[in-house]
Amino acid sequence: MDFEFSDEQEQLRDAVRRWVDKGFGFERRHALAKAGGKTREVLGEINDLGLAGLVVPEAHGGMGFGAIEAMVVMEELGRGLVNAPYAQAALVAPTLLSYAPEALQQVWLPKIAGGEALVVLAQQERASRYRLDQVATRASEAGGGWKLSGTKVVVPAGDEADAFIVSARVSGGESEAAGVALFVVDAGAAGATLRGYPTQDGARAADLVLADTPATLLTRQGHDALEHAADVAIAALCAEAVGLMDRMVAVTVDYMHQRRQFGVPIATFQALRHRIADVKMQLELGRSMSYFASLKLGEPAQQRRRALSQAKVQLGNSMRFVGQQCTQIHGGIGVTDEYVSSHYFKRLTVIELSFGDTLHHLGEVSARMRDGAGVFA
Amino acid sequence: MDLNFTSEELAFREEIRDWVGKNLPRETSHKVHNALRLSREDQQGWAKILGKKGWLIYNWPKPFGGPGWNSVQKHLFEEECARAGAPRIVPFGPVMVAPVIMAFGNTEQHQRFLPGIASGEVWWSQGYSEPGSGSDLASLKTRAERRGDKYIVNGQKTWTTLGQYGEWIFCLVRTSTDGKPQTGISFLLIDMKSPGITVRPIITMDGEHEVNEVFFDNVEVPVENLIGEENKGWTYAKHLLAHERTNIADVNRAKRELERLKRIAKSEGVYDDARFRDQIALLEIDVVALEMMVLRVLWAEKSGKQSLDVAGLLKIRGSEIQQRYSELMMLAGGPCTVPYLHEAMEGGWQGDIAIDRFLLPLAGTYFNQRKTTIYGGSNEVQRNIVAQTVLG
Repeated sequence: MDFEFSDEQEQLRDAVRRWVDKGFGFERRHALAKAGGKTREVLGEINDLGLAGLVVPEAHGGMGFGAIEAMVVMEELGRGLVNAPYAQAALVAPTLLSYAPEALQQVWLPKIAGGEALVVLAQQERASRYRLDQVATRASEAGGGWKLSGTKVVVPAGDEADAFIVSARVSGGESEAAGVALFVVDAGAAGATLRGYPTQDGARAADLVLADTPATLLTRQGHDALEHAADVAIAALCAEAVGLMDRMVAVTVDYMHQRRQFGVPIATFQALRHRIADVKMQLELGRSMSYFASLKLGEPAQQRRRALSQAKVQLGNSMRFVGQQCTQIHGGIGVTDEYVSSHYFKRLTVIELSFGDTLHHLGEVSARMRDGAGVFA
Repeated sequence: MDLNFTSEELAFREEIRDWVGKNLPRETSHKVHNALRLSREDQQGWAKILGKKGWLIYNWPKPFGGPGWNSVQKHLFEEECARAGAPRIVPFGPVMVAPVIMAFGNTEQHQRFLPGIASGEVWWSQGYSEPGSGSDLASLKTRAERRGDKYIVNGQKTWTTLGQYGEWIFCLVRTSTDGKPQTGISFLLIDMKSPGITVRPIITMDGEHEVNEVFFDNVEVPVENLIGEENKGWTYAKHLLAHERTNIADVNRAKRELERLKRIAKSEGVYDDARFRDQIALLEIDVVALEMMVLRVLWAEKSGKQSLDVAGLLKIRGSEIQQRYSELMMLAGGPCTVPYLHEAMEGGWQGDIAIDRFLLPLAGTYFNQRKTTIYGGSNEVQRNIVAQTVLG
């Protein structure tokens, strides 16, 4: 058992933190969000730190790092309130591509590792909510190739991406896991239409409408790959949430010392002191379960799914409590757009709505419950 | 970062598991697994078995005869004991007063008191709380006046857990009223057979006799029973509070009880009821999160590389979880937990009732567990402490 970060991991953390401190202040973030949330340029700067290929195997031009390095980077991006789609680009896409034939990996992974291509997952549909097996988009094989038809919604950074990894059904009914396959679709492919929009957390997403759009088969084991990628995304989001909450709590503590009412700092009021103690509790439970999430990513699928759902429930509860209470403690200033705290809150809320909310994952944990309890069960 | 125990730690765990399996009396573990009443013999019997092996003092440093285990080994020992259904070690002697005697007592006191604690022969009680001094402990009024080579003690302690068995009691007493309340307190060891001591039971709402009032009426205590210096007792007591921070979360017992909850829920047909099952799932997640937090603290203690400011959270969270599982067990039992049969709490009871007897203690345990967020510094006081570390 060891909860220490290696020197390499600490260097990684420092590198991201230095970039955030120097180049990604709140004013820049706020301006980007107001301008519609396009952040390809920001992603480029993160890639310039060498982080695009963080988890891409060395054979494909990456650094071949693992879950803990990803966690460290995500914590720092959270702390910096960075609204670029790093997790999607550098963690989710390489995970999905690891299920692809070698030739296809060779096409995309070096470009991802080099920061030249932004490839994002287009999975959610209007009726899918958080289910990975609920896929109405159809794939049909014709003349040695595949064509896809259907509509994907809230595709992250959709109108900034170069290509999409699209889930589509090759067989079965609308909620059958077995018939879900994954395909790669170029952003400019025939019949592909994008409608971009800003998101609540100052970033950007898009609808992707496919009409007989040519696509390359990535894997027929689409559901397994999606589950794996969802777990990678959950671990990344948990880590990002920890960074966000850490900062939001720090900002709130500062405010409690500065803000005076009834002639004294509000930090002296026991009602608020107990509230901040409860906030600290949720933050540390969240941090503990973020570690748990990343440490369990390498387990066999059954245990991994259960552990990641457990983590997402804890982080969901932590994010909601920390976000809501830190907003409350701030009073009026906490609900304004000009002040940083509301932006932490909105990002935490969007994380709750990503890759399964708290109730969804509580249902997963409940359904997977078996004898044996605790970290090692 | 790594979540796995080393192969040495796993071998250590096996050794403990094997030994506990062979030495824990079955009758005792049956009572623990079913939340039945533990007698003095159940508790002290297990303490003496551990004492003989040298493990009652598993948390003592080597120079004082402890096994010299690190924080992870201690945790594994606690986990195996809890898992097997061992009674909790009554903490007042080996866990609470012994570290104070070691740190602030003289050599004569070491020799006089530590062996009886280590063997489990002498039952110690704690004399801290008073009727007027709960969370505000420093306001305590029990007086010890120096007369020649004796202190004369007058006053009252309360909430003295298992004080009915107590042979010795360590007390915080007032030796001065000058200055701040904290600076006039001394740490005194008192023989409970001394003339002038009266122990009266307090029956708690579960109908059990677990806590007591202890009255002191001109009790003579030799001055050699004073620990350290007069009026420095508060400092020593704080040292005591700093000990055993992770164990207070009791996560190992929570893991065992969560499994019992699942068994009860299955037997009562609510395990497959989504509304009930989700509550168990939530508790399971709470237990995993608590265990992760405990493991972080253990590692920080073992490695000495990090100081974590989360230790204060463990008591709050651990006690909330204890209350929650006892509540859910009662709810799983439903109406069949309503009968109150005081005698059904005994191990050998053979009553004629159409309800499985494992259901009968569940409401009582729920009532009993309300204490956990009150004792050892109420959770509100704990929040004050956490807030102090967060806000400075």
